[in-house]
Amino acid sequence: MDLFLNLVASGLVIGSVYGLIGMSFAIIFRTTGVLNFAQGEVMMLVAYTAWTLTHTLLFPFWLLVPSTIVLAALIGMAVERLFIRPMTGQPIFAIVMVTIGIAITLRSLTTLVWGHEFEGFSVPFSGGVVEIGPVFLLTEQLAVLILFAAVSLMTWAFFRFSRVGMAMRATSQDETAALLMGVDSRRMSSFAWAISAIVSGLAGVMVSVLFARAPDMWHFGLKSFPAAILGGLDSPIGAGFGGLIIGVIGELSAGYVWNGLKEISGLILIIVILMVRPYGLFGEKELERV
Amino acid sequence: MRTGNHIESYPRHIALSDNPVVWFWLVALMAAMIVLPAFSGLFVLGLAIRILIAAVGAIGLNLLTGSTGQISLGQSGFLAAGCYTTGLLITDYNWPPELALPMAGIVAAALSFLVGIPSLRLKGLYLAITTLAFSFIITQFLLFAEPITHGPYGVRIEDTVLFGFDLADPTTMYYFCLGILALVTLGVLNIMRTRVGRAFNAIRDQDIAARAMGINLTTYKLTAFAASSFIVGLAGGLMAFQFRFINVDIFSVTLAIEALAMIIVGGLGSVAGAIIGAVFIILLPEVVGDAIGLLPAGISDVLSRGALEIKGLLIGLVIILTLRLEPDGLMGVWRNMKRYWSRWPLSV
Repeated sequence: MDLFLNLVASGLVIGSVYGLIGMSFAIIFRTTGVLNFAQGEVMMLVAYTAWTLTHTLLFPFWLLVPSTIVLAALIGMAVERLFIRPMTGQPIFAIVMVTIGIAITLRSLTTLVWGHEFEGFSVPFSGGVVEIGPVFLLTEQLAVLILFAAVSLMTWAFFRFSRVGMAMRATSQDETAALLMGVDSRRMSSFAWAISAIVSGLAGVMVSVLFARAPDMWHFGLKSFPAAILGGLDSPIGAGFGGLIIGVIGELSAGYVWNGLKEISGLILIIVILMVRPYGLFGEKELERV
Repeated sequence: MRTGNHIESYPRHIALSDNPVVWFWLVALMAAMIVLPAFSGLFVLGLAIRILIAAVGAIGLNLLTGSTGQISLGQSGFLAAGCYTTGLLITDYNWPPELALPMAGIVAAALSFLVGIPSLRLKGLYLAITTLAFSFIITQFLLFAEPITHGPYGVRIEDTVLFGFDLADPTTMYYFCLGILALVTLGVLNIMRTRVGRAFNAIRDQDIAARAMGINLTTYKLTAFAASSFIVGLAGGLMAFQFRFINVDIFSVTLAIEALAMIIVGGLGSVAGAIIGAVFIILLPEVVGDAIGLLPAGISDVLSRGALEIKGLLIGLVIILTLRLEPDGLMGVWRNMKRYWSRWPLSV
């Protein structure tokens, strides 16, 4: 039983990371209909920048958090402005291919600038151990869980109550109607990229605190696809909780069945889910006119 | 005054080419390819072999993604499956290479049903994700199923003699790959001018409309998956002879993106485009590497240390720029040039 609880706990930790990245997939998909294959790379770039702020420029932690958020927003907006905006009006297929191009470009650029070395990322709260009943958690693992809860709550509130959030939902439902109501859909796309860069960038910082700042961090982007599919690509909160489920399933299958399953159980799960429900677990079937 | 190239009969419409000039240059190209080894060093020959194998793979991917419109990010998984099938059958089961190579294609095609059947109901992005997931599952299996696949230790292939020709010799390997590429090219070109090929294009353009016109989506989508994976698996089998030592690291996500770059740059849905794209994407890093070597010593040292990153950067930028500036790729550029010259005073 103790093993089970500990596996669930570490599954929730890694699942929070998947969930945050899944959320950022969903934020862009929901607003613009584009699946951003470069999300893992955006996350990696933000994490590397934050690492330089902490370890080269020696920013204190209270300054690091807001400056990372601002930088992440700028990175997200810059990518949208440079690569996605000029593709407006092209078929979705072409735009998704462009995000694949962005992915490999950003990945190469990051390793070109920062090199191949693994580096630790130290934050003031890392290193301690928290004991909750039979479950042992490192303080940084606990921090990931708290971050996930906070970001989920904020994302939910943002889309539910804020003017911009409502405008983004309106754009995703009916772009023409939103335009007629005075919503600037291009600005919404820019916002969506900025917010998703912030959410995934925070996840990226936590990944580098948990493991290391490493040139293969972008793999987390691919591993988070199952989270986004499970929760529905058009629902950020659903994608977040999808991440938790995928994380727990990954840890349990690795702990009880076979170690090789840790990385792929989520992928197998979504293949099965998509066989049964081709539009995701919570996605709605689209009606198409020919 | 010439007003254009008007096709007036159906046989002429589906002919491989109705233009004697095209045939002349094709024969000239083939002759040049045949005499190439006599004039080139080992480096050029190695590069040519890489291009030929990449072109086979790109044609396979193009059949599925370009012609049938099913985006697959998982063809590197089938490449790995084909490569390991050939390698393991020769090394562990002592199969003759003559049989092990076609088995690469057959096993990849059989595996494609595993991914093709769940993908029947999927479209676009969801298909891209499941195929990507599938290629991960294949590489993970290759890495962890050590008793069958040697896991992380890789496979060394000793027996490389096919029909009395030793493929370890670069010249023999070159001719062999050239032959396979010619066969695959002819095969795919001929598929594309039959009912099957036209059905593929109809599915790409609008699958519901295609179904309404009496095209069985299940059959044709699965055929596309199987045919594409057979060709990609064959390319994987050739890679086993090219490297003679294979491990999972070869078949990374980057390889799948490179393959996608080839068909995008060349022009989606065109066999010639896939070949041109393969030539372009393989030669691009080499040419840029040489250009970097010409720069002052200080800069070129720094840049050549990041050769792999620069390659990735170039491939990414090429994908982005092609899609933005000329979505039909190099074949589109060629078509525009041709139209410009042939209709000159009236061309735009």
